[in-house]
Amino acid sequence: MSSLRIAVGFKVTPDYEALRASDWVRAAKDGVDTRYVRRVLDTFDESALELALRLRDARAEQGLETGLMAFSVAGREADPFLKTLRALGYELAARVGPGVAPDETGRAGGVSNDAGLDFAPSATAALVAACARESGDDVLLLGCSNSPGDDGTIPFVVAEMLGRPCVTQVTEIEPAGDDGLRVTFAADDGLVRATMRAPCVLAVGNAVVSHLRVPTLSDRLAVRQAAIAELSATDLGVDVTAALGREPSALTGLALVDRSRAGVILGGATPAEKAHALYHEHLRAELEKL
Amino acid sequence: MPLSREAIAKGLQRIVGPDAVVTDERVLVESSVDNFRKLQNIFDVHTAPVPAAIVLPGSAEQVAEILCFAGENEVNVIPRTGGTATEGGLESVVPDSVIIDGSRMNAIVSVDPYNMQATCQCGVPLQALEDRARELGLTTGHSPQSKPVAHMGGLVATRSIGQFSTLYGGIEDMVVGLEAVFPGGEIARIKNVPRRAAGPDIRHVVIGNEGALCFITEVTVKLFPYFPENNVFLGWTLKDIKTGFEVLREVMVNGYKPSVARVYDPGDAGIHFSHFAAEDDCVLLFMAEGAPGIASATADGIAGIVAKHPECTQVPSEYIETWFNDLCWDASKITAEDERIRQTRNVNRTTEISADWSSINDIYQTAKARIIAEIPDITMMGGHSSHSYINGTNMYFNYFFNVVGVGPEEETEKYYLPIISIICEETLKRGGSIVHHHGMGKARAPWVKDEYGSSYYILETLKKSFDPNGIMNKGTIIPL
Repeated sequence: MSSLRIAVGFKVTPDYEALRASDWVRAAKDGVDTRYVRRVLDTFDESALELALRLRDARAEQGLETGLMAFSVAGREADPFLKTLRALGYELAARVGPGVAPDETGRAGGVSNDAGLDFAPSATAALVAACARESGDDVLLLGCSNSPGDDGTIPFVVAEMLGRPCVTQVTEIEPAGDDGLRVTFAADDGLVRATMRAPCVLAVGNAVVSHLRVPTLSDRLAVRQAAIAELSATDLGVDVTAALGREPSALTGLALVDRSRAGVILGGATPAEKAHALYHEHLRAELEKL
Repeated sequence: MPLSREAIAKGLQRIVGPDAVVTDERVLVESSVDNFRKLQNIFDVHTAPVPAAIVLPGSAEQVAEILCFAGENEVNVIPRTGGTATEGGLESVVPDSVIIDGSRMNAIVSVDPYNMQATCQCGVPLQALEDRARELGLTTGHSPQSKPVAHMGGLVATRSIGQFSTLYGGIEDMVVGLEAVFPGGEIARIKNVPRRAAGPDIRHVVIGNEGALCFITEVTVKLFPYFPENNVFLGWTLKDIKTGFEVLREVMVNGYKPSVARVYDPGDAGIHFSHFAAEDDCVLLFMAEGAPGIASATADGIAGIVAKHPECTQVPSEYIETWFNDLCWDASKITAEDERIRQTRNVNRTTEISADWSSINDIYQTAKARIIAEIPDITMMGGHSSHSYINGTNMYFNYFFNVVGVGPEEETEKYYLPIISIICEETLKRGGSIVHHHGMGKARAPWVKDEYGSSYYILETLKKSFDPNGIMNKGTIIPL
């Protein structure tokens, strides 16, 4: 029986929610200084990683083998996540370096990023596709875009580079025979379930799960000595500089969006009094207009 | 003959009116537990006896009538305000209890900037009082993680402590006076004075009583000047937590009062500081605040102490400031965490103890090693010290485990209580206290006699004297 090889590409992003207001403005440049916040998994990528594990478990129940590989186009900030994935049973966890040194603030636009490829989806796609070819995967899972600088094209561009079909907004993946997959995805008019065969690219959207399971201390101890694989753009035969030159757009500036909302705190000591105030002071006049 | 649930509700309605008595079954079921059973809450599995009603009094007089009614009819009452308790203190352990919810008593009575104190009813959210103080350039100085959701009555009843306690003290240092209602209907007001020696300090009968002796209806707390513009953040990485304890001790013994003084072990540091701390790094951090001269002198003094420990490597202050800005739990974070637990069945729990400087590292090392060895499915076992004194510090054990092979209702029996048991054993062996600030609740009540030793006589006598009919929050502090 053949084993299905699944590769998952994931992104590590700064926890933008934790940024200080002063980080949004840097002297001499428009930019966001993300050096001082922790890194988190991209939301959709985390779903993809967990869906891959669940698919492996479901296939195992049917006596089917599955190999899992995870990689990230990132610097050392991805290492804690790669180690966690090894502890969860990913056989290979790799960091893919672009071979381009980021400037002081990251790429043009000033977003600080260890790999320097924020706002560079074409270059990222080139590396992702090369990594997928190198791994010999049957199914490539990526998250739909959610991170700053990602224009949502990476899964499609990667699929085109690999010559594979691509399904986006995937919400669930289940086994369908030895090498088939039952893929549920969100379309304009509802959920659609389709059976697909490898090779393919699946872009995970608002999936049924959004959190990765947690390995035990014993799981971590078992893989403590396992190295994190490092692949460079040169290893993968990708000319990142050329890819950067083909980016369709560039960040020229950033502005903090004021999301504060106007509001009125209702008076009244009891719920009944507050409801009375809400109706008589705010709603009644509007309702009478209808 | 015990009253029926319907008779209890009717009796309460006669006191406070029908609008102030809740008998909705769904609400009662959810109110039967607190965060001690959080996994059950998340999965909507409820096994505790369902209360008969929740009553929301509007005054101390109504509280007195309710307690008299409960006493006459032997009905167990559970005092509650914000509902953020974590140790089972709000759990109903006998059928047909009545929850006395003080959240409608939510008036800020006065804010007195000249005498630096504020008075509020028990149902005032701490955040609301803090916001009012900040408008005047003042602060309560009290900042537990539950600040956005906790209320003043519960914070005093649990003897709570905030994240800036090293400067401002615990709630017991902040309370000036208070009003409480006792089971016999007595309304007792302790007046607001800076200090007195007119016998024992009876505030401490009420502070920390966890609803087992009385119902707190009003509190007066100190206010402090607020100088956030002078905050100084300091942080270091180091390999050995014992060095961290030593630094904390030196800071305290030399008289410095940073508002924040913490040392994290590698496991706990990995949750917050993995972007600058290596896998085996501890993190030592401080915040100094106050008037400009005080803040800078505190920071300089601490830096001078740490400089004598070359194994500490300083990190940019921005790392610590960013961490500081994200300290408290609000409703959205709680919801997000609940969802994470629901999906992963990976539960985070904490247990905090205190001990003198000689014992704290030993307690930490031994308890941690035993838990890792004896408890299955642990995914993280660590902790940090966050409240230091001249004569010791606390240890806030922080741990995660996967719940495997059992339902939510068995999580406490399989994992949580055995972990608490190990921590309590190792702490008691070395003369420490099994609970630093979360309260005994019902979770740690089994260890109350070991905790008190011969002084249990004082606690037991208080309980018998103030609550002869045993109606006040059965099972809390003193087990059934």
